[in-house]
Amino acid sequence: MNRALLLFLVPVLGWSQSAGEKVFAQSCATGYCHGARGTPAGAPRLAGRGFDQAYITNTIARGLAGTAMPAFGTTLSRTDLVAVITYVANLNGIANPTISLGPGGPGASGPAEPPLSAEAERGRVLFFDAIRGFARCSTCHEVNGVGIPVATPISQIPASPGALRALATPDVRTAALDGESRGETMPALIVSQTKKRALFYDLTSVPPVLRTVDPATLKVTQGSGWRHESVIGSYNDFQLTSILAFLREAIKPQ
Amino acid sequence: MRTLLVLALGAACASAASPDGATHDNWPHYGGTQLSWRYSALDQINTGNVKNLVPVWQFQTGDYAENLQSTPIVVDGVMYLITPRIQVFALDAATGRPLWHYKYPTPRPGKPGGMTFMQNRGVAVADGKVIFGTTDNFLVALDAKSGAEEWKVSVDDPRQCGCDITAAPLVVKDKVIVGGTGGDAAHRGYLTAFYTKNGRFAWRWYVIPGPGEKGHETWKGDSWKLGGGAPWMTGSFDPELNLVYWGTGNAGGDFNDEARLVPGAKGKEANLYTASVVALDPDTGKLRWYHQEIPDDLWDFDSAYECVLIDREINGRMRKLLVHMNKSGVTFVLDRVTGEFIGAFSMPEVQTWISGITEDGKLVGRVEPAAGKVVTTCPSAAGAKSWNSTAYSPRTGYVYAPINEVCNDLRSESDEAVEGRFHANGGFTFKLPPGRKTYSHIDAWDPITRQRIWSMPYRYVLLASMLATAGDLVFTGDPEGEFFALDARTGAKLWSYQTGAGNRGSAVSYSVAGRQYIATPTGWQQAITGAQLAPLFPDQNWRTGSTLIVFALPEASK
Repeated sequence: MNRALLLFLVPVLGWSQSAGEKVFAQSCATGYCHGARGTPAGAPRLAGRGFDQAYITNTIARGLAGTAMPAFGTTLSRTDLVAVITYVANLNGIANPTISLGPGGPGASGPAEPPLSAEAERGRVLFFDAIRGFARCSTCHEVNGVGIPVATPISQIPASPGALRALATPDVRTAALDGESRGETMPALIVSQTKKRALFYDLTSVPPVLRTVDPATLKVTQGSGWRHESVIGSYNDFQLTSILAFLREAIKPQ
Repeated sequence: MRTLLVLALGAACASAASPDGATHDNWPHYGGTQLSWRYSALDQINTGNVKNLVPVWQFQTGDYAENLQSTPIVVDGVMYLITPRIQVFALDAATGRPLWHYKYPTPRPGKPGGMTFMQNRGVAVADGKVIFGTTDNFLVALDAKSGAEEWKVSVDDPRQCGCDITAAPLVVKDKVIVGGTGGDAAHRGYLTAFYTKNGRFAWRWYVIPGPGEKGHETWKGDSWKLGGGAPWMTGSFDPELNLVYWGTGNAGGDFNDEARLVPGAKGKEANLYTASVVALDPDTGKLRWYHQEIPDDLWDFDSAYECVLIDREINGRMRKLLVHMNKSGVTFVLDRVTGEFIGAFSMPEVQTWISGITEDGKLVGRVEPAAGKVVTTCPSAAGAKSWNSTAYSPRTGYVYAPINEVCNDLRSESDEAVEGRFHANGGFTFKLPPGRKTYSHIDAWDPITRQRIWSMPYRYVLLASMLATAGDLVFTGDPEGEFFALDARTGAKLWSYQTGAGNRGSAVSYSVAGRQYIATPTGWQQAITGAQLAPLFPDQNWRTGSTLIVFALPEASK
């Protein structure tokens, strides 16, 4: 029985180690961070440290806040994540690790997620398209944990590119500043206002600028000249249709 | 009265033919002045009395996550100091008394993409504001008087680009220009300028030209989209020529060019404008000229470092020059009006990656990493010198540099570029060159005659910046904690002080009420270069920390 189990385990371990070693070499052991086979380099040694399995899993998947150790749960596929966790466990004498990632947890953005339709995938790429610089949706919108959440989370998705262009949110008002910045007026998205300070996004140009001012110098009036179409001009109707398809698939109804 | 006199002299120099790269009472910019000399015109502390130098105050930041790499900025008796976790302190520069303290809200945890760094090399101070980049890629401006946030703008999302900001921004007229990391991530590097007044976007210059732009044809297929080149350090500015100068990083993936090199491009300019020095119009961000130092840089030699702007006579003619070193230790001297190549010299003693440089600046005898083999080259990807800065003294005419003698085994692979993910196409393992007992040295070089004037060897590596002063002194520190002064003309060690932790920062000099101070950040680091090199020296005990130590002559002996 023991022999049978051993025979079964060896090939699994062999496979996992080589896959894990490859992921480790590419993502961890570059010399910039850890060294080959868990030796120290820019980041500490990982081999033979006596780490327990929960610590290994958690650190690799979620990163270490306050250090350069990133959260690989958000960047690696589930297969690669399991392989590299197994590899680091092996380096710490855990021959046959039990890895618990949990549904929807780290690595869930990998193959476990249902794939987007072809059109939605085109829309996803356009939404985050770095080639457009600041003229991309994610300059102001966060979806699936990427993007800058200037706007409140998208909850209602316009029916058409025309409706998307015409979007004129009443949240955008007109801010006028006096004092040192006398005469400055701008379309503004108010974030918070207390007696001591007022925070708002200046939407004059992209990217929006979060301004903090003395409320005594700020005058806010309803309405503004700001229109959504003025910031989505880098996309044509065909592209906006794909982006809407992406949003419909990516954003679950509340 | 003394202050007035200094200001008047400064103004007189500024109107003369040569811009003044020296600092006076203040240390206003990252590189001292925008000319990046790291040279102070103060001479109260000099070769004759430096032996009397004593610590007068120190400031513990309490942020021990990483070492203290930042350059303090001093304006009108107030010092502004930033730490790796983005705490900013305003201190009375004469006493160390805290005036205000700003703590950046912790970036949301667990979301960094690719390769981001927890380091910060300094703030910029201008227009009544203190401006700095963050580990999650925001540029933030505080009121210099109170430390209250005034504006904050996202330069990019680190979860997508795998990049962040570690460099001090450079203020040029009404704008603040900032570069980002990401040279070793799949990312298209850029510089971005914002208006200091309100944080609004002014321009962005991409290191890699887009379709239809000149230079785009030097990229294979779609490789330009994620080709690296991040200009991750701080540039320089010549106010008379109205040109801003910046060094750019190497192309990604670093150690294998298959996916990015156009067929037939070997030996020619490649992957523009990576591994280059560029001159931009600061008003528009338009490229004026470029000089590519290492076409197809396969060694991670990053040309991202300081551009030292000096005026010197060559063959009887006064020339406006730019002196620039990349991690290979090869130092280029260019005409900063046109970008014309004037000369080059190599500072490390062990150099195997090339056999030489031609008179017109071409590299010959390149030893390149190759797939399926381990290729050993010197110097290493850690650099003969990396971001830590040189200094230049107009009194001696020498450039002062800390140079490391470390080699590496390079592995070349071909990995897919995935946006924001680490993309080096291989890696390196450091090793020491055989037959040596010392592995670094501080050098003085004449950039015009290209001669080494003196060299002071050191047994470990040196990773702190240099400071030169009109007292004919050069200050820097070592990983064992010694912070010391050398004679700028001979290299003789005149004074040393044990700071208690490794030195990895950038010392500055300034004056308050007629008293000259030398200030140095201390504390070794846990990640990237410092810790990468530590395992080479089993007997080392380089200590972390995060303390700024300030020295002056005793009041009685001034």
